[in-house]
This record gives sequence, C-alpha cells and structure tokens, in this order.
Amino acid sequence: LKMADEPTREWSDEQLKSDDLPKKDLIKFIQDNAAKSFLNEHKLLGNIKNVAKTAKKEQLVIAYNQLFESKRFKGTEPIEEVTEQVKAVKIEEKPKEVKEVVDEGPPKYTKSVLKKGDKVNFPKKGETVSCWYTGSLEDGTVFDTNIPAAARKKRQTKPLSFKAGLGRVIRGWDEAIMTMSKGETARLEIEPEWAYGRKGVPENKIPPNAKLIFEIELVAVD
Amino acid sequence: MCFLLIRSLLSVLGGLLCEHKAHLKTAAMALEQFSDVVQRCQALPDDSYTTEDHDVFTIAGRTCIEEGNSAQVLSIVLDEKNQDIVRCMGWNLLPPLIQVLLKKEDKHLSQCLAVFNHLLKTCRPKELLIGLLEQLEHDDPYSTAESLHLLLNPLQKVLLCLGSSKASSLGMTLSSVLDQVTKLPLPHTKEQEEDDVFFLCRCCTDLTDFVRPFVQEARQNNLNSKAGCESGDKMAGEQDRGKEDELRTELLKFCMKTLSHPLLEVQLKDPDTLAVSPLRNFATEILNSLSAIGEPLPSLVYQPLLKRKQVPGFLEEEVRYPKESLASLAHLVFVHHLASDTFPSVFSPVFSLRCNMEHICLLLSRTDESRIQKGLELYEKSLVRLEDGSLPADLLEIRTLLTVPQNLVKVMTICQRYDLRTRGLKVFQLSIDKFNTEAKYNFFQYMLKTSSHSGVEGYIIKNIKNQVDFALQAGNSNTWFEGVHLLPLLRKVFILPDGPETDLLQYLDRIMESLNLLRYLIIRDKVTENQTGIWTELYKIEDTFMKPLRVGVNMSRAHYERELHNTMESKKSKAKEESVLSVSVGDEKLPNMTSESQIQALHSALHTFDMIESVLVRIEELTEVKESL
Repeated sequence: LKMADEPTREWSDEQLKSDDLPKKDLIKFIQDNAAKSFLNEHKLLGNIKNVAKTAKKEQLVIAYNQLFESKRFKGTEPIEEVTEQVKAVKIEEKPKEVKEVVDEGPPKYTKSVLKKGDKVNFPKKGETVSCWYTGSLEDGTVFDTNIPAAARKKRQTKPLSFKAGLGRVIRGWDEAIMTMSKGETARLEIEPEWAYGRKGVPENKIPPNAKLIFEIELVAVD
Repeated sequence: MCFLLIRSLLSVLGGLLCEHKAHLKTAAMALEQFSDVVQRCQALPDDSYTTEDHDVFTIAGRTCIEEGNSAQVLSIVLDEKNQDIVRCMGWNLLPPLIQVLLKKEDKHLSQCLAVFNHLLKTCRPKELLIGLLEQLEHDDPYSTAESLHLLLNPLQKVLLCLGSSKASSLGMTLSSVLDQVTKLPLPHTKEQEEDDVFFLCRCCTDLTDFVRPFVQEARQNNLNSKAGCESGDKMAGEQDRGKEDELRTELLKFCMKTLSHPLLEVQLKDPDTLAVSPLRNFATEILNSLSAIGEPLPSLVYQPLLKRKQVPGFLEEEVRYPKESLASLAHLVFVHHLASDTFPSVFSPVFSLRCNMEHICLLLSRTDESRIQKGLELYEKSLVRLEDGSLPADLLEIRTLLTVPQNLVKVMTICQRYDLRTRGLKVFQLSIDKFNTEAKYNFFQYMLKTSSHSGVEGYIIKNIKNQVDFALQAGNSNTWFEGVHLLPLLRKVFILPDGPETDLLQYLDRIMESLNLLRYLIIRDKVTENQTGIWTELYKIEDTFMKPLRVGVNMSRAHYERELHNTMESKKSKAKEESVLSVSVGDEKLPNMTSESQIQALHSALHTFDMIESVLVRIEELTEVKESL
C-alpha cells in the first residue's frame, strides 16, 4: 500500500561527501521526509541546530542513504501515524447525527431494603465502595459470597472493593449501588440482561439467562 | 624368575597394605584429633575457642564422617558435656553428612541422620541455614532434585527458629531454591507429568509444604493487624509492622516468581485429562497463598486498570508485580478456573476483557510458542463470555484493542505451528464478531490501512461483504455498511497498490476478495434503490480499479506466456537446466526449480489470470444487464 509518493534524491554521492553541503540542509531533508520512528532511531528528532551539534556528517550521509533503502518515509509507518489518521477519518466523515434518546424501558432489577443506611453517604460515580455480599440463583443455590461464615474454615476475607458507576461490575450492581447509602443492606433481584445474559458463567455455576439474587451490605464509601 | 615374581607380588601387596594402614591411620588419627579438640574445648568458655580449634574440629570431624566413623562422632556429639562446642562448630559437619544422606544406601545412614537431626536442634539457625543452602547447588538435574527433596524440610525447621526476623533469610532461601528448580526439565505431556522422571512435580509438592507455615504466619499477621486497627490499637510497633510487611513481601516475590517459572512454561492438564495433577495443585496453592497473604486475586488480575496505592517498601510497583507473572495468573484464573471459588462473580465481562487485553498483548508479543498458546487461550476465553455485537466503538481508543490484533496477525501469518496459526485466525474472527457495527467499521478501516499482508486484507474484505449482506437484510439496516459511510470504506477496498503494474500473484487474495465483493454488490443492490451507493460509485471504480486490473491481467498474461514458451523451447533443445524463472517468498529466493516444475508454476499463474479475468468479465456483464433494465 503506497501511502505517499516517494521523495526524490536531492544530492548525488559526490555532493553528499562534499564540504559544500551543510549538515543542516541534510538534517532538514531527512526530518521533512522520514517517518518519526526512523528519526527517533537515528537520533534526528528535535531542533535542527541541536541535532547538528551532536551528529557527524558521515552519520547523516549514512542515514540519508538508509532512508532511501528502507523507504521509511513519512506516512509509511503503521499504528501511531495511522491511528491518528483513523481518528481523523472518524471526525471528518461522520455526519452530524441527532443522537436518538433510546428508551430502554424500566430498570432490570428490583431492590428491597433490609436494613436502612445513613441516607447521607451515597456513592458517586468513580468512588470506591466496599461491600459484603451473597449471590444466589432463583432456586436458592449460592454461587458466590465473601462473607466469612463462622461454620466454614476461617479464611482471610475482606469486603469487595470496586469503583462504582464505571461498568466494572454487572449493570444491576452498578445501578443499584448508586441508590444505596452507607450502612444499607439490600436485596437485589437482577434480570439476566443486567447480569450475565445469554451466556451466563458456567464455570461459576451461573446458567444462561439466569436471574440473580444478591444480598449486599454497603460498608464503606471511599 | 619365580622368586622375582613373588617379590613383586609381595611389594604390591605391601603397598596396598601400607595404603590401607595409612588409611586406617588417617581415619584413626582423625578420630583421635576430633576427640582431643572436643575434650580440650570442654573446659573452655565458648568465646575463647581459637581458630585452630575450629579448623581441627571441622577437618577432623569431616574426615571421620567420610571415613565411616559416624558412630563415634554421634556419641561425641550427643554427649552432654559437648553441647557448647557442638552449638558453636557443629554446623561445619553438614557437608559430608548430607553427602551420606543423599547416597541413601550407605551403611552409616542412620547414624549420620541422627547426627544431622541433633545438629539441626542444637546449632545456631543462621549458620545452619548457610550450611544447608551451600549443599543445594548441583550441576546435574538428578542431584539437584534429590538435594531439594532432602533439604527443604530441614531448611523449614531452621527458618522457623528464626522468630520474627526470618523474612530476609526466608527470601534468600526461596530465591536459592527457585534457582535450583529452574535446572529441572519440565514435563510436557500427561504421561511425563505422571512419571515425573526428573522430579519436578515432587519438588513443587515439597515446595508447597515448605512455604505453608510461613504463609499461615503472614495470614495471621494480616488478621491481627486488621483486628488491631479496628480496635484502635496503635501500640503494635512500627518495627513489628515492618517485619510483617517484609515477610509478606518475600512470599509475594516467591509467588510471582513461580507464576513465571515453572507455571507459565508448563501446560496444565484439565481434570478430565488428568484427575490428579501435582502441577495443577501447585498452581492452586500459589493462588491460595496470594489470597492468604493479603493480595486478593481480583486486584492482581485487574491490576493494569486499577490504580493501586503506591506501597511504601523496598520494591517498586513494576518489580513487585511483574507483568509476565500477572499474565500467567490471569491465564490460571480465566482459562483453568483455578481458585474460582475465591474469585468474585460480579465483574462485568467487558471489564474483564479490557484488563485481560494487557495480559494477552504481553503473551502474544512473545515468539515463545507456549506463551502464544496461552495468549490465544486467554483471549478466546475472554471473548466467548461476551454477546455478539456488544463491544462499543469507543473501546477501540484503548491501545491494546489495536495492538493485540496486530500481534494476532503476526501469529496467523508467521508462527511455525499450524495449530496456532489456525487458532489465531479463529480468535481473530471471534474478536470481530464481538464488536458492534460502528466498531467493526472502524476496525476494518484500521486493518486495511495498517496491514501489509494480502491474505489478511482479503479476510477483512470478506468480512466487509458479510456485514453489507447483513445490513441489507430486512430489519438490520445501519448507517455503517450501507448508506453514507459505506462508500469511504469501499474506496479503501477497490484499489490496486501499484496500478496496472501491481504484482497480481502477490496480491491475489486481496484482489479476489475485492472482486467477489464487487460482484456481490452488483447482484444484490438494485440500481433503482442503490442502498449501498455502488451504482453512483461504479464509474469511479471502473476507472481506478477495473480498467487498470484488466490492463495488468493482460500484461502479466503476455509476460508469463512468453516465459512459458521460452521454457518449453529451452527444454526441447535440451539446453542446460538453467532456470528462467526465479521465485521469491518475502525476500528470499527459493532454490532453482527444474523445468518441469517451472512449467507447472507458469501454467498455474496463467490459470490465475484467467480466473481474475473471468470475474471481471462477469461483473461487466452483470453491470450491463442491470443498467439496461
């Protein structure tokens, strides 16, 4: 894929070797035509005066020739330069669309408060929350919990911490936690669409299209 | 003559006898010297033993054991009167003792074992530690394995005697032990793991037993400090907390190291394949240990995206949590489902994917096939949890969402193993399926721009065709693969890199898929509807793509026909088998072909040009028909 027309050689080999050709001209040519990574590798990035101080004429001639051999001209390097271009494409060619407000319908979970919280400290988006929880299926099977049970082998457990409202947890949790205040314990019933959907998580005993029931105690907000 | 023979025989015998006597003399002398120095030192306070005393004890004692006088050594060492000396100097006897213990069949085994155990109880832990660690080093795997098996338990006993200052000694020990483990060959198949010929599995099991009490201690420290915090008890000294942190840090270092080696190097077998797997158990224990010492698994796995608090201590973040170890951990959790009962089931699959992309990127950027395989497995597992079309376009702004496909392309095109190349392609398509429509559109543009491989480009173009087909079906209409956005994308498809001079064989995959797409659009889209915009664009495509392609086909055909003619002529005239045709793959010229194979290759090329032309002709026919309607 030829992305740019190849520049033409400005000087013959004799002219290159001659003292009449100043280093600055050579540097400018290479900086104008070479890809950024090429310049970086040959230490030719930056103010021309500074580069001229550190680079020897022989090095510059070698770089000049290597540029034409390797054809690493501006516009031929992937990723960095291209990602910019891809992003640019997005901006240029995307027509102004009126964003339709999609009506998603009612929330796909229900909450019943088992113990009231302080009704003052509600988590804001991006704040870290900590909770104890138990998760079970509709048939009562407990698939996950972090509560250290007296009966079970004593394990080192901490409340689960995560940043709320950022899509790190299943949607039912994210939405519900923002409505809870510090100290509150609530029971959530989350529809599969806002839980693990059609796929489920078989290895964790969650079948496809499963409605999940959580009991959550919000112990700390940031 | 007989007399001479007898004399020489006698002198040989005499020599042997002398040696034996000298031997006995040495052994007897050593025992005497050992006894003497011990007796002499009985009377002295232990801080006044001289260097000579130490030396004599060491050399004589070692000789005694080497010469088989371990019974006497035992009785001397057990003597109550000698305990101060033993405590001070006893550890110097470790080397020959351990040699005997490693031999297993030595007749002095039980006595040496008794001496050894007594020394472990009596001597100073720090000195014992040095003595034991010195004996771990071996050149061959078998001796390495045997000494690890012998010495891990004594090392544990000694470390447990060090009290609260054990952390740095533990760290040193674990480091030495793991260095030795790297010398053991790794089992790769199920049978190799079962047979464990080089004892790696036994070693891992021993290691688990070794660290267990230290992990328990760290866990207890954690629980206590939490309890202390909660009750507002700030009296627990800074020093204590520092030491506890040290212990935890050394154990963390250990776990991280094992995650890299051996765990990242071996392929764990699932329970269906191998019901009892020492390596799988070892991996599970490492994960459990991490949780126990206060490094919860979700934090480790999701570390790339979580801003971890800077832990003040003696390890920087990157060193403390090496990227490769975290990738190995993610693989164990998500692909093998180890420790799944301790991993919360509340995280969203998209978040898991975002975090795993960092690990996947690392694994796929290596050339090591075992790492590539794990990268593919992790990627696949992360993707299948998502519903098709669920990943939004803004996800592509995350760097790894673009670098991982680049790495995948390398695997698909360059990797030596066929199964990995195939799997790479499968995962590549899977990743495309999970993007939503806008994301697919952006991704295809990106891949077309950055790819330098005709096969990959062809594959992307085929995907574009599928998306257009989908969009044209009732109810699936979208603005990306029909209407205003489609044309800019198509303009990137219908191009010939070098115009009519394009090497058609090199770009074949891409050209054929482009032609397929074009033919599809002409057939599917009605001229009157023009949903895809193809009918208004067609004249441009004819100019910039179809006409140059026609010219290219004709030129190439003429060239190859001439080559074919020449080759057949030279074959007829039985000239030297000088090849006229040279074939290069990449930058390498393949060895010269025989004229038979040359002729075959030329025919095959000509057939290809016919194929391209036939599709071009078909497209022109269809266009005429439809436009005339």
